[in-house]
Amino acid sequence: MAKLLSIRELKIDIPKEARILADKMLRDLEASKRPVLEAVKTSLDNSLYNAKVGYLTPGDKVVRTELNVSSVQKLARVVFVLEILLNNLDKGAVNTKRELYYMCKGLIKGNSRLKPLDFDDQPESDAIIDFIGDMLEVYREELNCFANDRGGQTYSQQLVVTETMPDGEKAVVDLSTLGTSPFQPKNKPQALKLKAKKKIDFCLIVESEGTANTLVTMGFTKRNNCIVMGAQGVPSNGVRGWSKLIQEELDVPMYFFGDLDAYTMQNIFRTLKAGSAASLIRNADFSAPNVKFLGVLPEDVKKYDLPHYKVKESDPAEARALKKAKDALENDPFFLDKKNKNLADILRWLIKEKIRCEQQSFFSVDPNDPIKTEKLILEKIKRGSYV
Amino acid sequence: MSKITKSSTAEYFAKNLQQVGFSSPLKAVLTTLKEAVDNSLDACEQAGILPDLLIEVSKVGTGSTKNTDLIRIVVEDNGPGIEGEDLAKVYGEYLASSKFGRGQCSRGQQGIGISAATTWAQMTNARGVNVISKTKKMRKALAAQVDVDIKSNTGVLKNKETLDWDREHGTRVEFVLDGRIQLNGDGGIVTYIEGTILVNPHMTVTYKLMENDFVTVTRVSNEVPRIPEASLPHPHTFKLGEFITHATLFGKTTLSKFLKTGFSRISDQSIQDFVKKGLPKNLLEKPLTALTEEDFKKVFQAVQNTDLMAPSTKSVLTVGEEALSKSITRLGEIDFFAVVTRKPTICDFKPVVVEVALARFKDRNQSPDSPVTLLRFANRVPLQFDKSGCAITWAIESVNWKSYGLGQPKDSLPLGPYIFAVSIVSPFIKFKNASKETIDASEELVGEIRLALIQAGQKLSRHIKKEVKEADLERKLAHIEQFGPILVEGLARIINAPESRKKKAEEGLRKLLGRDSEEAMADLEAAESKLLEQKKREKKKGIDHDDIEEDVIRGEDLVEEALEPQGTKKTTTKKETTKKTTGKKK
Ligand SMILES: Nc1ncnc2c1ncn2[C@@H]1O[C@H](COP(=O)(O)OP(=O)(O)O)[C@@H](O)[C@H]1O
Ligand SMILES: [Mg+2]
Repeated sequence: MAKLLSIRELKIDIPKEARILADKMLRDLEASKRPVLEAVKTSLDNSLYNAKVGYLTPGDKVVRTELNVSSVQKLARVVFVLEILLNNLDKGAVNTKRELYYMCKGLIKGNSRLKPLDFDDQPESDAIIDFIGDMLEVYREELNCFANDRGGQTYSQQLVVTETMPDGEKAVVDLSTLGTSPFQPKNKPQALKLKAKKKIDFCLIVESEGTANTLVTMGFTKRNNCIVMGAQGVPSNGVRGWSKLIQEELDVPMYFFGDLDAYTMQNIFRTLKAGSAASLIRNADFSAPNVKFLGVLPEDVKKYDLPHYKVKESDPAEARALKKAKDALENDPFFLDKKNKNLADILRWLIKEKIRCEQQSFFSVDPNDPIKTEKLILEKIKRGSYV
Repeated sequence: MSKITKSSTAEYFAKNLQQVGFSSPLKAVLTTLKEAVDNSLDACEQAGILPDLLIEVSKVGTGSTKNTDLIRIVVEDNGPGIEGEDLAKVYGEYLASSKFGRGQCSRGQQGIGISAATTWAQMTNARGVNVISKTKKMRKALAAQVDVDIKSNTGVLKNKETLDWDREHGTRVEFVLDGRIQLNGDGGIVTYIEGTILVNPHMTVTYKLMENDFVTVTRVSNEVPRIPEASLPHPHTFKLGEFITHATLFGKTTLSKFLKTGFSRISDQSIQDFVKKGLPKNLLEKPLTALTEEDFKKVFQAVQNTDLMAPSTKSVLTVGEEALSKSITRLGEIDFFAVVTRKPTICDFKPVVVEVALARFKDRNQSPDSPVTLLRFANRVPLQFDKSGCAITWAIESVNWKSYGLGQPKDSLPLGPYIFAVSIVSPFIKFKNASKETIDASEELVGEIRLALIQAGQKLSRHIKKEVKEADLERKLAHIEQFGPILVEGLARIINAPESRKKKAEEGLRKLLGRDSEEAMADLEAAESKLLEQKKREKKKGIDHDDIEEDVIRGEDLVEEALEPQGTKKTTTKKETTKKTTGKKK
C-alpha cells in the first residue's frame, strides 16, 4: 500500500525517532539508570499566544515520566502501544482509537503474560496514544490513528474539492451538485485541494449544524457566493483542519455565527480560531486565526430585542462555564492579548449580565419571513458588525 | 429491696403507651425486652451480683391485631429476686420504682417501663406477665401472673403458686404479646443484644432468637460495676416550669431547705448570694406551698443569676477502656479497634462521661460503602430509633473521618464494616422525647462527644495507615513483577536488541525498582512503629490487641524477595494474624 500523504512537512522520521528512544531507554536500564520520557505539557499554563502567529503554541514546560515503581505500568503500556503503532506505520494500516483499543485487547488476550497491561476501558488506551503523540511531538494522524470526526458539513455552489486518495487517484467533488446534502471533510485536509468556480465572497461557520442546513435549504448558498459550514459544537480536528484549509487556499473572509454564551466563546470559537491547550502541538495546522465572531453579539441582543435567558447559577454546568470564563480572563493568553480585547469584553459582559442568547433567537425577529435570519446575517457582515 | 413508692395512675399510660416505646408492633417487642433486661441488669448491679441472663424471643402464633404475630419474650436473671409482696407493684403498678428521682446512672429511671409492657401484653393478649422469682430468703420460688388494674393503678396477682427452682435467687419473666420481630438493623433485636453485650462486659448472656440456636456470650470482666452515689440536680439545669414542678415534690418544706436539699451545690453562702441577686429575704423561711408563681419566678431568676460551683462528677460511671476493648471482641472477629474513655466532665451543668469504641470487623457482611453500624447508649441502654436527631449522630457527622482514612459522604456517617459505639453516662440525660431514643444535642454535649471521637479516630487511623502502607508496598512489588519484564521485552523487540542486552536491562530494572520498594517499606515501617508505640501505651492500660509482637514485617525479607528473579511467588506481606476466638458462637 502506498504511503499516506503526510499531513505536514514532518521534520522527523517517526519509526527512526521511536527506535532511538527505545534504545535510549534500554541503555538507561542496562546502566541501572531511570529512563525518563518527556512530553510537551499540554495545558493552559504552558500555552503562549502571539496575535501575529494567531494560535496557541507550546511553552517549554514538559511532563516528565520517570521510571519508578508507580510509573512502570504506564511505561510498559506506552512501549506496548508504541510497538503496535510502529507496526501500523510499517504496514500502512490505519485505525481509529477505538479499533486500537480492541487491537490491544486482542493481543493481550492472546498472550497471558501481557495480562497486567489490559485496559479497562478506552479512555485508558486513548491516554497512552495521546501521550505517545505528545512525546514524539507528532499528530495522532501521523501515527495512522484517526478519529471519527464530527461536524464540518459544508455547502457551497462555487466550491470544488479534489481529494488525492491513498492510492494516488483523484476524486473531484463539485459541492453544487449535492443539493441540500453537505460535503463532510475527513481529518485529512492536506489530501484536499480547493478551487472556487466563481469568486467566493465569504465563509460562514454556524455553530448549529441544524441551523446551517436551514439557511442552505432556504436558499442562502443560491443567493450568495459563499461557503456555509456547520460546526456541530466544539470543532473536531476535522472541522479545524478543514477551516484552516479554507483560510489558506481560498483566502476569503470567515465568520462564525453561534450562541452568545461563555461556553461558545471559550470552547467553540476560541478553539476554532486559535486552537486549544490540549492540542498545543497541532494548533498550527488545526486553527483558522482569520475567523471573526459575527454573533450573536451583545449589541444584537439590544438592537433586535432578542429573547434571552438568565444563566442559572444553580445549574452546575452553567456555573462551571461562568467560573471558567472568569479563569479565562485571568489566565488564557488568547483572551489576555490586546488584539482580542473585544472578544474578552464579550466574556466580561457575559459574566456581568449573566445572560445567554442563542443563535436561533434571530428567528424571533420576523417569524413570518423565512429568510429573515439570512438577511440579518448579511446585514451584519455588510455593516461590519463582528468582532 | 429498697422501698417502692407509688406515684400515679395507670390510666394515663394505658392510653399513651405509644409515648413510652409501644408505638408499633416492632417497638413493642423491643421495648418489652429492653425493660426486662434493664431491670435484670440494674437489680444484679445493685445487689453486687455478676449477671447471668437468659433471653428467648420467639413467634408462637398470630396476633389478635392486624399485621402482628404473637410473640413470647422470656428474660431470666440470677439477680436478688423480688419479694412476693412486691411482685404486684413492680409489674402491675406505674411509677413504682426503687430508683425514682434519685439522680443515679441506673438504666431504669421512672418505674414506667415494665408495667407498660405488662399493660401491652394484657391489652393485646388478655394476660399480663408471668413471673417466677426467688430471693435468697425464700425456700421455694413464687410463680404468678401479674395483671394491671388500670382503673386503680394496682397490680393483681393471679394463679399464684410456689415451686421448686434450681437456683438460689433470680427472676424470670415471660410476656406473650402482639408484636413483630426484626432481628437486624437499627431497630433489630440482635442489634439491641449486641449493644447490651458491648457495654456490659461483666454480663454473661445466653440467647435464642426465633428458630436460631442458643448463643452464649461469656463475661470478659469479673467486676460488678459500682454504681456511684445518687447526685442531686444542679439548679442551673432547670427551666422555670421544671423548677416549680420540682418544688411540688417537697410539699411544705421551707424555701431555704428546698434549695439546700433539692439541689446540688447550694450552700448557706449561696443562699446569701441569691439574696444579693434579688431573692426576697422574707421568702426564705416560707413553706413552698405558700409561694406564688411570681415568687417562684423571682427565686428562679436569682438562682440563675448567681455563680455556683459546677456539679461534682463523682456520680457517673464508665465501662472503661480495658473492659470495652475486651468486650468489643465479643461482637465478632475484629481487624482492629480503638477505645476512648473520657474523663468525667460537665456539660450544661450536668456531670457526663463519654466513651467511644470503634472497631473494624472481618465478618459482619457489611459492604465497604454502606454506613458504619452505629451503636448509641444512654446510661448503658442501647438507643435504637430516631438516630438522626441524636447528639451522638451529630457529633459523628461533624468529624472529618476522611482524615483518619475512612470514606465519608459530606455531613454523613462514615462508611465501612465498622461498629461505632458511643456511650453517654449521666444521671441527668436530656432526651428529645418521652420514648427516650434521642439524646438532646446541646452544643456542649456534642462538643464533648466530638472530642472523644477525634481521639478514637486518631488511634484508629494508625491501624488504617499501616494497612494502607502495607497494601501500597504489596501493589508496588506486584507492579515490578508484572510490568518490568513486559517493558524490557517491548523495548528489546522494537530495536531488535540481543538477548544479552535484555538480560542486563532486566537486572538494572530490578535494582531500580527494588530501591523504590525499599522506600515504600520504610514508610510501612514508620507506620508500623507508630502503631506499635500506641499499642504499647495501650497495653499499659490493659488494652490488648492480641497481636502486638507478630505484627512487624521484617523489611529485609521483602527486599530480597523483590530482587529475586520474577516468577517466584511472593507470600509474606499479608500475614495471618491469629485471633483468639472469643465468646460468640455461630
Ligand atoms: N428482675 C428484677 N429483679 C429484682 N428487682 C427488680 C427486677 N425488676 C424490677 N425490679 C424492682 O422493681 C422496681 C421497678 O421496676 P420498673 O417498674 O422497671 O422501674 P425502674 O426500672 O424504672 O426502677 C425496680 O426499681 C427494682 O427495684
Ligand atoms: Mg425498669
